[in-house]
Amino acid sequence: MAMMPKRVRWRKSQRGKVCGRASRGNVVSFGEYGLQILAAGWITARQLEAGRIAATHYLHREGRVYTRVFPHKPVSSKPLETRMGKGKGEPDYWVARVREGTMIFEIGGVKEEIARGALLRVTHKMPFRCRFVKRRHGL
Amino acid sequence: MDTVTLSAERRTRIGSNAARALRNVGQVPAIIYGHGETPESVSMGLRDVEVALAHGARMLEVSIDGSKRRYLIKAVQYDHLASTPIHLDLTRFDADERVKVRIGIELRGVAKGLSEGGVLDQHMADLEVECLVTDIPETLHPLVTELGLDDSLHVSDLSLPDGVVAMAGDDERVASVRAQATTAEDEDGEEGEEKDSAEPERIGRVRKDDEPKKDA
Repeated sequence: MAMMPKRVRWRKSQRGKVCGRASRGNVVSFGEYGLQILAAGWITARQLEAGRIAATHYLHREGRVYTRVFPHKPVSSKPLETRMGKGKGEPDYWVARVREGTMIFEIGGVKEEIARGALLRVTHKMPFRCRFVKRRHGL
Repeated sequence: MDTVTLSAERRTRIGSNAARALRNVGQVPAIIYGHGETPESVSMGLRDVEVALAHGARMLEVSIDGSKRRYLIKAVQYDHLASTPIHLDLTRFDADERVKVRIGIELRGVAKGLSEGGVLDQHMADLEVECLVTDIPETLHPLVTELGLDDSLHVSDLSLPDGVVAMAGDDERVASVRAQATTAEDEDGEEGEEKDSAEPERIGRVRKDDEPKKDA
């Protein structure tokens, strides 16, 4: 099941904008290798789930996959063949807002070539360009 | 630990605009401070700094106006992609001074517990140590081959060079091998398609006209 919040204050949200670049959440913090997004925008809960499944399958139950972003934002839509007006549509799906540089997935406990293979498959599920990064040890 | 030599120029203009202008011409702004002396704003070549950091340098021998002096790299700021250095903090030091630095921990080997169906978790990626400024160790490479299922590697198990003291407690875990959890989330989860539209619980007071529409 795709991720979504357990409890929310408000059912619907305005569209908003994704401004600027990532100043936090942009380094490998949990695993040893990570997948960094190179554009700003929305990633849907389904895309994140597809990425997680792709990585988990490739790893054959080895290592660990960390998802660093969460779809907090509800996106509403109107039903098909509906006239405009009559208020805002009902919540349809959930998205995570990401900035350029955000680390979206991390993998730990496996060799580099395996992590590369897994994260390449995750990249194919993502709506933006991504790059593979390694954890920086020391400075 | 290597000491890399590079040249720097004093900065007359300071502030974010001046720093950005420097970065645009391939320079990295830096500040030198410590030991009660006046802080100095300098800039150095980006390429030189990148090479020095890639070689794991902890100290830089900086030549300013023809005079050379060694400085400890206190902190490095990176850009939004965490790849290009955009600012350096350098500190002055005495040769017999003890300093606190963070050194990386890279696990080596394949743990025994992995063949028993376990997963290796690294809980500590770097370790704060106190040592002589001239004896800063490089990245630690502890072997994890002897770790079986439910075994842990602690700070006390790390072999640190003489004169290097770990600031973390001896019983803090560096890595452990745990049994693979078999939860429903680890499986494909394809059957949850129709649950995507389920609504989360509301927090706080809910207005009557803000209830989900049944016919939508």
